[in-house]
Amino acid sequence: MIDSVPQLEALATGIAIINGDNVIVHANTAFARRLNVDALPYRLTDIDLPEARSRDLLEWQLRDIGESALTVAIAPGRSLTFYIGAQREGQRLIIAASGWPHRDESTRDLAAQLDPLTGFGNRLMYAERLREFEAMGTKAAAVLIIDLDHFKQVNDTLGHGTGDELLGLVAQRIRASTRGNDTLIRLGGDEFVVLIPEEKHCEGLEALAGRLVNLLGRPFLVNGHQINIGASIGVATLVGDSDQLQDLLRHADLALYEAKHRGRAGHYVFQSPLEQRAFDRREFEVDLRRALGLRQFTLHYQPQTSIADRRVTGFEALIRWEHPTRGRVSPLDFIPLAEEIGEIAAIGRWVIRCACEEAMAWQDERLSVAVNVSPAQFADDTIVDAVRDALDHSGLAPARLELEITEGLFLEESESIMRRLWAIKELGVAVAIDDFGTGYASLGYLNSFPFSKIKIDKSFIQAEPSPRAKALISGILAMGSNLGMATTAEGIETLEQYTQLEHDGCSLAQGYYIARPMPAGQIADFLERFCPPTARAS
Amino acid sequence: MTAVLYRLVYMSRNDITDEIDTQIDGILKTSRENNRLAEVTGALMFNTGCFAQVLEGPHNAIQATFERIQCDERHSDVTVLLFEPSNKRSFSSWAMAYVGAQESALERFGNLGDESGFEFTALDGDDIYNVLLDNLHDAEAQ
Ligand SMILES: Cc1cc2nc3c(=O)[nH]c(=O)nc-3n(C[C@H](O)[C@H](O)[C@H](O)COP(=O)(O)O)c2cc1C
Repeated sequence: MIDSVPQLEALATGIAIINGDNVIVHANTAFARRLNVDALPYRLTDIDLPEARSRDLLEWQLRDIGESALTVAIAPGRSLTFYIGAQREGQRLIIAASGWPHRDESTRDLAAQLDPLTGFGNRLMYAERLREFEAMGTKAAAVLIIDLDHFKQVNDTLGHGTGDELLGLVAQRIRASTRGNDTLIRLGGDEFVVLIPEEKHCEGLEALAGRLVNLLGRPFLVNGHQINIGASIGVATLVGDSDQLQDLLRHADLALYEAKHRGRAGHYVFQSPLEQRAFDRREFEVDLRRALGLRQFTLHYQPQTSIADRRVTGFEALIRWEHPTRGRVSPLDFIPLAEEIGEIAAIGRWVIRCACEEAMAWQDERLSVAVNVSPAQFADDTIVDAVRDALDHSGLAPARLELEITEGLFLEESESIMRRLWAIKELGVAVAIDDFGTGYASLGYLNSFPFSKIKIDKSFIQAEPSPRAKALISGILAMGSNLGMATTAEGIETLEQYTQLEHDGCSLAQGYYIARPMPAGQIADFLERFCPPTARAS
Repeated sequence: MTAVLYRLVYMSRNDITDEIDTQIDGILKTSRENNRLAEVTGALMFNTGCFAQVLEGPHNAIQATFERIQCDERHSDVTVLLFEPSNKRSFSSWAMAYVGAQESALERFGNLGDESGFEFTALDGDDIYNVLLDNLHDAEAQ
C-alpha cells in the first residue's frame, strides 16, 4: 500500500523509506507515480530505469551505507536524482527529484568503476574500496579470487558472444551466494573477486569458497548450449593489520595458484610462511606417524670389511623412508622429529627386528648386522626388551647383532643408561661407538664399558690430508688397539684413504669406495661378487 | 512469430533431509507460480534419492529458471541430460510426481500426481523419459 501521511502526500517531491534489503516500505504518491511503483513492498533496485546500467549504479550506490546522491537518465534529456540518506537502524530515506541542482561528481566516478558486462566493479573500484578500508583503518577483510577453468575453450569454440553471456550468468551465481556488503569485482577476463569487508571465520570463508566452486561447476545454459566450466578459488584474509591490505590480492592470487596446482575445481586458503611452516610440519608429523603402519620404511645395508682379512664381516642397517608423494626422506630429517614426538621407540623396535630377520637370510653365519640406536631409545628399559624380542623372534645368534650408539648418550653420567648397556651386553649383543670424535662427551666413558668397536667419524676420514689430520686418525687408532677395541673407518671414498688406513692399522672399512648401501635382496649377489679394494687396485 | 521452444531435462541429487513434505510442497507452489508467469511448463519427478525435471519454454525463460534452480541448496550434482529446441510441449502445465517404490513415501507423496495433474502418459514413447524413469528408480535412497 502506498502510504498517506497527509503532509508528505502534499509534496511534489518523491519520498520513500527503504529497509536494509533495499525494499521500499513507505513511499508517498509523488515517489510512486514518478517511478511507477504500484504496490508495496517493492525493491528499489527493481524500478524501471531505461538503462540497465543505471540500475547497476543504483545498486552499487546503495551498498554504501553512508549518504550519497546519484543522478540517472530516465528519458532522453531527462534525469532523476536520488538523494540517498545514511542508513540508520536498517532504514534510510530516499528522495527522488528531477532537476537536482548539481550533478554529483561521484556518479561519474562510479560509472568508470563498473564493468558493463556483469555490473560488477572493476579494478578501479577494487582500488577505491581498498583506499576506503585504509582510511577507515579496517582491521579485518578477506578476498576470494575466482578463476574460471576452461573458459577460453568456450570463447574459442562457441564465440565471444556466448562467452560474454556466460560471464553474466557466472556473475549472477556469484552475486546469489554473496552478501550485500561484499564488493564484487570483475578483474578482467574470467577472473572475479569477492572483497569481504569484515571478519569472517576461516571456516565461513572456506564454506563460501566451497559453495562457489560447487555452484560454478554446475552446468550453464547459454544460447541453446549446455556449458560446463569450473572454478578455482584462492582465499586470503587480513586479520588485525591494515598495513597488509595491499597484499590481500597478491596473497589470494598465490593461493589461487596453489589451488590450481592441486588440481582444478577447488579452493585454497593463503597461509603466511610462518603458518605454512607450522602446517607443513604438522603434515610431516602425521605422515611420519603413519609410515610404520603403511610399511613405508625399509632397511638398506652397507657392507663393512676387514682390512687385514680382505673379507666382508657384516653390514650396517640404514633406514630408508620412501613416501609416495615426498619421495625418499632422509633420516637426518625424520629421525630428529621421530625423537621429538616419541615415535622413535616404535621405529627403533621395528629396525632392530627387521634387521635381525633379514640377517637370518644371509648365507654366511659369521656376518654381523649393525643397527643404529638413538640416545632417545635409551630413555627407558624398552630398548632392552626390543633387543631381546628381536633375537627371540628371529632366532639370530646374539653375537651377530651389534648396536651402534653415539657419544651423545654419555653427555650426562647416568646410572640407568649404563645398566641398560650392560643388560644388552649380557644378552650377548655387541655395542659400538658411532660417529666417534664428533660429540663432546668426556672420553671417560670409554673406560666404563667394553665397547666392541670405535667407528671413526667420516669427517676425519674425508678431511684434507694434512699432518695434523693424520696425527688425529693414528691417535684414535692407537687408542682403540690399546683399549682392545676394533676400529672402523666410515665414509671411505677413495683408494688413497683406504691405503692410508690400511697402513695405519685400522681394522675395518666402510664407505662408498667399498660399496654403497643396498637393499636386502642384493646382498647375496654382492657377497658372491665381492672383491677386496686393494685387489681391485693392483 | 513465436519464440523457439526449448526443452531441458536434468537430474540432481535430492539433499532434503528434514521436513521433506513441506519442502516439496513449497517447491511445487513457487514453481507453479513462477513458471506460469514465465510461460514455462514441464514436470518435476522426485523420490528420496533424486530429482528429475523437464522444463519447456522460451530459451531465456528456461535459462533464468534453471539459474534460480541451480542456486537452490536443496539439491546438488546437477546433470543436464538434454537441452535442445523442440517443436511441441509435452506438458501443458506444471506438474509434479513422486516416482518411487518406498511404501512410506508412497503414502505421503503418492497423491501428488493427482493434485498437480501429472500424467505419465505424457512420458510415453520418448526415450529420454524412459531413461529418466530408470534413473529415478535406481537412485531411490533406502
Ligand atoms: C529440484 C528443484 C526443482 C525446482 N524447480 C523449480 C521450477 O521449475 N520453477 C521455479 O520457479 N522454482 C523451482 N525450484 C525452486 C527454486 O530453486 C527457487 O527456490 C525458487 O524459484 C525461488 O523462487 P522465489 O524467488 O520466487 O521465491 C526448484 C527447486 C528444486 C530443488
